[in-house]
Amino acid sequence: MSELSGQIREAVRKLLRQKEVDLVIGFEAGTLPLHSTPCFIREQQEAERLIWNSFCDNNLAKYLGKRQEKIAIIAKSCDARAIVELIKEKQISREQVVIVGVPCHGMIDRRRAEAELEGKEILEAEENDGELTLKGNGFTKVLKRSDYLCYGCEVCFHRNPVIYDILIGDGVAEKATDQYSDIAEFEAKSTEERWRYISDQVSKCIRCYACRNACPLCYCRECFVDNTHPQWTGKTTDISDTMIFHLMRAFHLAGRCVGCGACERACPMKVDIRKLNRKLVSDVKVLFDYEAGISLDRTAPLATFKPDDPEGFMLNP
Amino acid sequence: MNNPYLPSPMRIEGIVTETEDRNIKTFSLSFLDRGNEAVFKYIPGQFAELSVLGKGEAPFGIASSPTQKGIIEFTVNKIGLLTTALHNMEPGETVGIRGPLGNGYPLTTLQDKNVVIIGGGFGFSTLRALTTFLLDKSNRNSFNNITVIYGARSPGLLLYKDELREWEKRADLQLYVTVDKGDKDWEGRVGFIPAITKEIAPRADNAYVLVCGPPAMIRFTLPVIEELGFPPERTLLSLEMRMKCGLGKCGRCNIGSKYVCRDGPVFTLAELNRLPREY
Amino acid sequence: MKTKIIRKQDMTGLLNNLIQEYEVFAPVKRDDLVIFDRIGSDKDVSLEYTNSIKPPKEILFPQSETLFTCGSIGDAASIEVPVSEERPRLLFGIRPCDARSFLLLDKVFNEENHRDVYYLSRRNDMMVIAIGCIKPRATCFCTSVGGGPFSSQGSDLLLVDIGDDYIIQVITDKGSRLVEKVGVADAGENKLALMKMVIQEAELSMSPQIKTDGLKEKLDSAFDDPIWGSLTEKCLSCGICTYLCPSCYCFDIIDEVTDSKGERIRIWDSCQFPLFTLQASGSNPRPTNKERHRQRVMHKFSYCVDNYGQVSCVGCGRCVIECPVNLDIRQVLTTISNR
Ligand SMILES: Cc1cc2nc3c(=O)[nH]c(=O)nc-3n(C[C@H](O)[C@H](O)[C@H](O)COP(=O)(O)OP(=O)(O)OC[C@H]3O[C@@H](n4cnc5c(N)ncnc54)[C@H](O)[C@@H]3O)c2cc1C
Ligand code: SF4
Ligand code: SF4
Ligand code: SF4
Ligand code: FES
Repeated sequence: MSELSGQIREAVRKLLRQKEVDLVIGFEAGTLPLHSTPCFIREQQEAERLIWNSFCDNNLAKYLGKRQEKIAIIAKSCDARAIVELIKEKQISREQVVIVGVPCHGMIDRRRAEAELEGKEILEAEENDGELTLKGNGFTKVLKRSDYLCYGCEVCFHRNPVIYDILIGDGVAEKATDQYSDIAEFEAKSTEERWRYISDQVSKCIRCYACRNACPLCYCRECFVDNTHPQWTGKTTDISDTMIFHLMRAFHLAGRCVGCGACERACPMKVDIRKLNRKLVSDVKVLFDYEAGISLDRTAPLATFKPDDPEGFMLNP
Repeated sequence: MNNPYLPSPMRIEGIVTETEDRNIKTFSLSFLDRGNEAVFKYIPGQFAELSVLGKGEAPFGIASSPTQKGIIEFTVNKIGLLTTALHNMEPGETVGIRGPLGNGYPLTTLQDKNVVIIGGGFGFSTLRALTTFLLDKSNRNSFNNITVIYGARSPGLLLYKDELREWEKRADLQLYVTVDKGDKDWEGRVGFIPAITKEIAPRADNAYVLVCGPPAMIRFTLPVIEELGFPPERTLLSLEMRMKCGLGKCGRCNIGSKYVCRDGPVFTLAELNRLPREY
Repeated sequence: MKTKIIRKQDMTGLLNNLIQEYEVFAPVKRDDLVIFDRIGSDKDVSLEYTNSIKPPKEILFPQSETLFTCGSIGDAASIEVPVSEERPRLLFGIRPCDARSFLLLDKVFNEENHRDVYYLSRRNDMMVIAIGCIKPRATCFCTSVGGGPFSSQGSDLLLVDIGDDYIIQVITDKGSRLVEKVGVADAGENKLALMKMVIQEAELSMSPQIKTDGLKEKLDSAFDDPIWGSLTEKCLSCGICTYLCPSCYCFDIIDEVTDSKGERIRIWDSCQFPLFTLQASGSNPRPTNKERHRQRVMHKFSYCVDNYGQVSCVGCGRCVIECPVNLDIRQVLTTISNR
């Protein structure tokens, strides 16, 4: 990992030195164990701050919109996929970004790791060779890294950036294709069970909008929940209001969600937001044979119309 | 315990469409429960929260003067949810009111002083209240010269046209009305408020100047006022911020540690200079 | 100060006793989240927690609450204020930092000229039984902001876990009346010595994390410092740090309508949301992360000192832990202090 950090710094220094970009968006060390944090670099000498490890879980594509400068972005594959969608949706031009792609082994889900410790506080975390070592007052615990990945990473089948200008390190082996087995499992449940599950999850929501604000594809200048006229949904935490927020958001992301899981990780209340989004990812794949963020050339299915578009989901939901 | 969030019902007595584009109307209201009139004691420069129940609540400067008995007036620009709902109402219907809120213009300080009033857009509403108050028979002798400079973007957007005509005729008031851009019928002044103020050059000795209007107008007028010799302590501004509670609690209208709803909306420039520039 | 003692296993009886008389709120586990909720019996309570994700402020100041309803839309004469017939509330097992936060909320909602009847109706007879922290987290910095793991400010009774027993520190008269009524024994000398040790150990485990000396002056003079821009560039403008903060209290007032009824509702709002200060004219005094996040920090560490004589951060560390981009208020304060 530290090797990758070194290569990233080297590449960034060069980009800034040759004035190819004005701004670099990457990660630096966080203030808490198991955290890296987004950082913004404009001077060569600041490149030292950049790091790469298994805690670089934010989707940095979030920060690309509404900027004038020429930007280099350190992109793991889900960041790169979000960039593809942003380019297609004309939120940024291909020429404005230099994509520094980093093949990815998956990011650590710190909550999964914490759950292993039954309330004991992690004060230090280190990773090497597929192991994650957690230390605290009076304990050291070694975990197998691959058992503690974010859920989004577990089901990720595009670990090598699909688009890049500079590639850091060697590629990583891809898994076989996504079978959406988790979604199939969910679909197998009865309507009542599914409704109850989603309702239970959504009832925890406090409408902090961290999910929306962390999502690289939620960039609307005014989100429908903020509109006052017309007012699409109420503002309280009553389940009828929060449900509309989550359902509408999921629909807005159909065929656009790149499955990075940024929403879910941002959520302080551990709402299983992924269920809805991933169900739609799966539907779009099944119905339109389309995956978001893979190709710059293919138009998103919900941004176009063909007479022979499947419509079964409308007629018999 | 008195509940500061409860509006009192008021009846719409009259509605005057002020501007040609029909986007600004003045509402005259009277309390359903006459007893509330004595409780609602206000001075010019204060504001109140008007409610259309089911639509919401928003702050509006009180456009009438306490010397006008029986009614309270508001001049409302149609811009969003609540203001549109208000504009759709008819005389006889009920609205809610909460207030009076804020500090208002410092009437005692203005006593025996020359008063220069500069207003633009619908920001003129509370200055109209002040002017009406100063001109009232029982008050006029307590104040020296009164100068009013009032501007709108076009003649069609001037408010209180009948009143302006009345004031024009008075000898105890210097009124200067200007528009940014005239039309074929306009015979009055044309020019932006800062330029007109510079031209008129009201004297600063023993005088206070009060300014209310859109941010751009304020920004360009302040240097002129300073040049004319008004010190920051005698330059008063009425500010607008987004507000909700009007009680210094909901947290959105502060500039530094001052809440515009509670400590303002009227501040001296000297006070504002001590605060962060975040307005 | 009076001190009482109760065996841990006797707590059950005490709690069930209290439930007879009060609406008792206590930490409970829901899925894997600890939250404060109304409890029906002692069995729901889970005292094995460092702190809850959501602060207990919502017991006094709920995320949404009806201020009044009106019969038909536009009928200002038909206003009805909901009346609560609830018994007085008792908060059991909250942390000292959260108990302190109530004193701040009091200053805002119990201001002389504008008393907030909704808040006060819950606050007035409320009893607070806090539990001291024998294992503060690395993110806790209560000691840097005037509190401590065993601070009694804001509590009526404070429990200290000394192993098999809890020492009950009796802080207020209200607390005293309660312990007299339920009848618990006085704490003996040796138990008190044990308590002192426990407290000392916890306090020693905490090191100062922010420099508060001269911080306000520093902040005031650094208002225009461009560092605010770089410190906050990563902020997502979400509601986490404010919604989860025990001493943040900003709100919005909105109307909602059903078929025949209008409701005026107060909901939490956040200075981190761009719409919070957007004016009808379209101008916004806090248009970017920089102004918004600066507002949050200044409000807590400067403006509240001016207005209420104290900082409005109790050092609970929630915003530090839960910020999705690790924007750490301790780091922000330290950076400004060092300018
Ligand atoms: C002290 C004080 C005194 C004031 N005095 C007066 C006065 O005398 N007269 C007066 O007219 N005003 C006055 N105002 C301003 C007035 O309070 C606002 O105009 C009012 O709050 C607007 O409320 P609203 O519900 O109509 O707008 P909102 O619906 O809250 O809308 C606010 C803004 O957001 C925009 N907006 C809302 N929804 C949408 C959407 N879906 N899409 C795009 N944009 C949207 C609106 O266009 C508007 O610009 C005063 C304000 C203050 C603070
Ligand atoms: S991040 Fe979680 S709590 Fe916040 S709005 Fe999204 S789902 Fe709700
Ligand atoms: S600091 Fe963190 S928690 Fe607060 S608004 Fe910004 S991103 Fe959200
Ligand atoms: S600012 Fe952060 S640490 Fe301070 S009280 Fe609020 S949530 Fe806790
Ligand atoms: S309007 Fe709520 S604090 Fe000023």
